Amino acid sequence: MSDPLILGIETSCDETGVGIVRGTTLLADAVASSVDEHARFGGVVPEVASRAHVEAMIPTINRACAEAGVGIHDIDAVAVTGGPGLAGALLIGTATAKALASALDVPLYAVNHLAGHVVVDELEHGPLPETAVGLLVSGGHSSLLLVRDDAQDVTALGATIDDAAGEAFDKIARILDLPFPGGPWIDRAARDGDPTAIAFPRGLTAAKDLAEHPYDFSFSGLKTAVARWIAQQRSAGAAMSVPDVAASFQEAVVDVLTRKAIQACRDHGVEHLVIGGGVAANSRLRALAQERCEQADIVLRIPAPHLCTDNGAMIAALGSKLVRQGAAPSPLDFPTLSVLRVSTVVMHEQ
Amino acid sequence: MVDVPDAAHMRALGAHVAALLAPGDLVVLVGDLGAGKTTFVQGLGSGLGVEEAITSPTFVIARAHGAGRIPLVHVDAYRLGSTVELDELDLDADLATSITVVEWGEGKVEQLSEDRLVITITRSDHDDDEVRTVVFAGVGARWTDAALAELSPAW
Repeated sequence: MSDPLILGIETSCDETGVGIVRGTTLLADAVASSVDEHARFGGVVPEVASRAHVEAMIPTINRACAEAGVGIHDIDAVAVTGGPGLAGALLIGTATAKALASALDVPLYAVNHLAGHVVVDELEHGPLPETAVGLLVSGGHSSLLLVRDDAQDVTALGATIDDAAGEAFDKIARILDLPFPGGPWIDRAARDGDPTAIAFPRGLTAAKDLAEHPYDFSFSGLKTAVARWIAQQRSAGAAMSVPDVAASFQEAVVDVLTRKAIQACRDHGVEHLVIGGGVAANSRLRALAQERCEQADIVLRIPAPHLCTDNGAMIAALGSKLVRQGAAPSPLDFPTLSVLRVSTVVMHEQ
Repeated sequence: MVDVPDAAHMRALGAHVAALLAPGDLVVLVGDLGAGKTTFVQGLGSGLGVEEAITSPTFVIARAHGAGRIPLVHVDAYRLGSTVELDELDLDADLATSITVVEWGEGKVEQLSEDRLVITITRSDHDDDEVRTVVFAGVGARWTDAALAELSPAW
């Protein structure tokens, strides 16, 4: 008997994502982005993001079905991001999912966006181990998660106490006059730079900070240090190597991310690390994580970049896992929660 | 005008200012990247009794912290283009009962309230110290000279 066919909907931020998964096999991953729409308005506007989701929702569902070669009536269950995310944006996805599930008379799973970023790796590298540490790094999140009991038990070990990692990339790119989003541009510029050229601070790694924040991150002090260094060079009329600044800044970020992720694995006796989120596309993060995991005997899993950024496939993958585990579906009246805690993998009655 | 020697004092200044703010107040924070705006808001939040971490709202544009003595709405207008867009955030709904603090809000949020407190944070010219200069300026009847004078702590 083949596994059920799961349709996943993701609308927690700018991307309208619809994925279709059977078991751990990805059949379709359709994404529409409202980034161009925002450019027209000169910036990101939550209201514009919501309207863009409304316009993109049905065409993206149709595109996913066509890509998977299935009809909408073939869908056996619907999964949707219930939180965390922008409230208005989440609402479009959850309203669509509720309508779809009740019209098709199939179960509905309202799931956690962050758990989706970890479980999506099953589509690329097969079933997750019983226990893993998840490192989620994107424009809006920087979290270390302990994922136990085959993703049925997720706890937050730590998170950023100020800026998200991806946000730090964007802001430093802006100071360096590189385009938005900054991550890929810094990555590119850094390839020609020396990561040891400038000793930028590693946030929350001093002994007293580690005692209080072993798995938390801080990128605000780093951002300040880079801004200050650039201002000093400019005011002194000194020559500045953008590749060196980019490489040194990037090294400071990925050094702390990987160091704390590996420490979390060691402290909890975990042998698998999964990295997800848009920053997981960073080539230096991937390389350094691989190097340090090999030294520590930890198996590293990072999905392909298109599965790291927000997408519907990750929600379908999590829905598919929940169905296989026999989890109870969500009631049709579940709310959207912009601050949904990561311990809630699937939303049931409050 | 206050000279703030380090980040711990910036938090203390935030807490000091929090005690003098009232529901409906609009605070506009001005300062370059890395000036210490978020650090100030963290102190303001702790002064209001907000227990959760106050992290950058850049990605979500605005974040509400309702658990303190007075609700705190923390806005980052960095990615917003103009005043029209900010209207679409429906911030007015919370303004009357909350303290609204806006980073990167100059030229974007002035229409939200007739009264506002503008706090400008500048880095010192000296290269290697953490010293910041904080200047308070008021617009509207709410911010009399006396009310502004109270904002500077007697360090």
